[in-house]
Amino acid sequence: MENINAIEVRNMSKSFKIEYDRANTLKDKLLFWNRGNVEVHQVLRNINLNIKKGETVALIGTNGSGKSTLLKLMTKIIFPSEGTIKTYGKLTSLLELGAGFHQDFTGRENIYFNASIFGLTRKEIDQRIDKIIEFSELEDFIDNPIRTYSSGMYMRLAFSVAINVDADILLIDEILAVGDQHFQDKCYAKLEELKDSGKTIVIVTHSLGEVKKLCHRAIWIYKGELKLDGDPIYVIDEYLKQSAIDHKEERKKAKEKGEFKSKTIMYVDSPRDLAVVKNVNKMLLRGWKISDEENTKLKVFIDDQEIEGIQVQPRPDVYEAYMEQFDGMLDSNQIGWKKEFDVTKLGIGKHFLKVICLDEKDNELSSKEVEFSKE
Amino acid sequence: MQVWKDIYNYRELLKTNIKKDIRGKYKGSFLGILWSFLNPLLQVMVYWIVFPFIMGRAGAVDNYLCYLVTGIIPWTFFTTVVNAGTVSMINNSGIIKKVYFPREVLLISQVCSGIINFFISCIIVVIFCVGTGAGISYHLICLPIIAIIEAILSLGIIFILSAIEVYVQDIEYVVGFLLNMGFYAAPILYQMNVLDGAGILQKLISLNPFTVLISAYRDIFMYHEWPDVSGLAAVFCLALVILLIGYFVFKKLEKGFAEKL
Repeated sequence: MENINAIEVRNMSKSFKIEYDRANTLKDKLLFWNRGNVEVHQVLRNINLNIKKGETVALIGTNGSGKSTLLKLMTKIIFPSEGTIKTYGKLTSLLELGAGFHQDFTGRENIYFNASIFGLTRKEIDQRIDKIIEFSELEDFIDNPIRTYSSGMYMRLAFSVAINVDADILLIDEILAVGDQHFQDKCYAKLEELKDSGKTIVIVTHSLGEVKKLCHRAIWIYKGELKLDGDPIYVIDEYLKQSAIDHKEERKKAKEKGEFKSKTIMYVDSPRDLAVVKNVNKMLLRGWKISDEENTKLKVFIDDQEIEGIQVQPRPDVYEAYMEQFDGMLDSNQIGWKKEFDVTKLGIGKHFLKVICLDEKDNELSSKEVEFSKE
Repeated sequence: MQVWKDIYNYRELLKTNIKKDIRGKYKGSFLGILWSFLNPLLQVMVYWIVFPFIMGRAGAVDNYLCYLVTGIIPWTFFTTVVNAGTVSMINNSGIIKKVYFPREVLLISQVCSGIINFFISCIIVVIFCVGTGAGISYHLICLPIIAIIEAILSLGIIFILSAIEVYVQDIEYVVGFLLNMGFYAAPILYQMNVLDGAGILQKLISLNPFTVLISAYRDIFMYHEWPDVSGLAAVFCLALVILLIGYFVFKKLEKGFAEKL
């Protein structure tokens, strides 16, 4: 029976030795051999995993959770401390872009250098070279030495080689953040194409939106252990919930230690700074504030005169943008504020709109001032 | 034979690496690849001018210029490979940490580019042989055999050195010193008969595999004789043993490269 798994991980653990003041030279080794400040840091604990052929799988988790280490273990750059990892089929890892590039050679020659590191033969590269050049959109510069390239061109060339390697198993580590939006879309389209052609893809990324679109399956690594494995939408939801809890936990700890610094962001949409306002009876004051403190209050002043009756407004756009950074602290419906204001009461000339955010004990967290003038 | 399969699969990497080594090294310099011949040549000039004066008896060899060239160029082959090979894991740490490929390819390509450079340099040796009146003969057909024995020996040595270098970076400097010393531990500048009566030192130097190799080069280039077969065979066996041990050590230490670099 043919093996349907592309990657098999069994009882796998990985720990790193962290040596403080690593004795690097012979002298140090001889003199300080018994003074080793060695600490064993367990990165991955007892991982069991099957990845089937043709699956597109995302590894998600916070920074330092061990997901990149797992990917490196799959590529056989590093080796497990316990257990085994087996891979079936030709494997390519896109952990590094532009490996083996040499500044003084032309783009075309460097395609050969780079592709050969991925284990392609001359014939295979010859077949792909037009596709690679086309994908990189560097037709006019391909015969110039790459030291003349801009960093964007460099990355585009590197990525084009990597994505066109055509292995059975592709391991991708957080490298899709290359180039402008147009090029990124192209990369995702290419990944989509590879996925449809039955390649096995394992990808480490923080762009959860892309995971939901692209992947069949998400695997959540939490503090070195496999926490959840399943449909991306469910796994990502659980992951976000957990990181919201962790976030609160961390805040609590930091607060106890007195090290906590709250973060508040405010913005005034209208009026814009230095705007000129006509004498109308309805001017819209509008803005938003987000904070990781609980129970914050908002006060709005015009020329030191407090404005009453501020309305709360939902702001899903702001929520979307700050969702990850303010894990679990935001309520989409409470972010925005607005107030219609009668300008006729104001005299002609300069005026100041001041918005202040206060915490439970009426300490000022942040404030924003906007100058506008009336005609 | 996983080794051969790996190397065969990554043959393009081997080729591009050799190309990068040979062409990339002097890219941007005015004389380009000529420098790889100019360096040993200038070295020969210095010894040729200085040595007969300060060493008297040692420099009193018939056709000393040709004698020097046939010694220094093969020795340069060895030192270039060992110097570059020792640090090749460190220099390529960027890709070793990020991409999987058989690491031995880096070393093999180092030796291959060394041997190609050496064969080109041999043209200069031949020019000197003809120019100084020593002439050439059909004995030169042995050249590839001797060169390959030297290459195997170098490969074995850099397998060991490059792997240890990753863990203990002093190796690089120790190697620099040993190569300097090795230059005097083989009859490159002097003839073996200078050492007559030196007892244990003479014994040691005559046991040096490079004494055998360099004498063999001189036999075919300068003296138009067949080299000493038993000596070469012994060096060949030694080279194979070192290569096997080296490969074993390299494979053993290889697994930690990405973590240590």
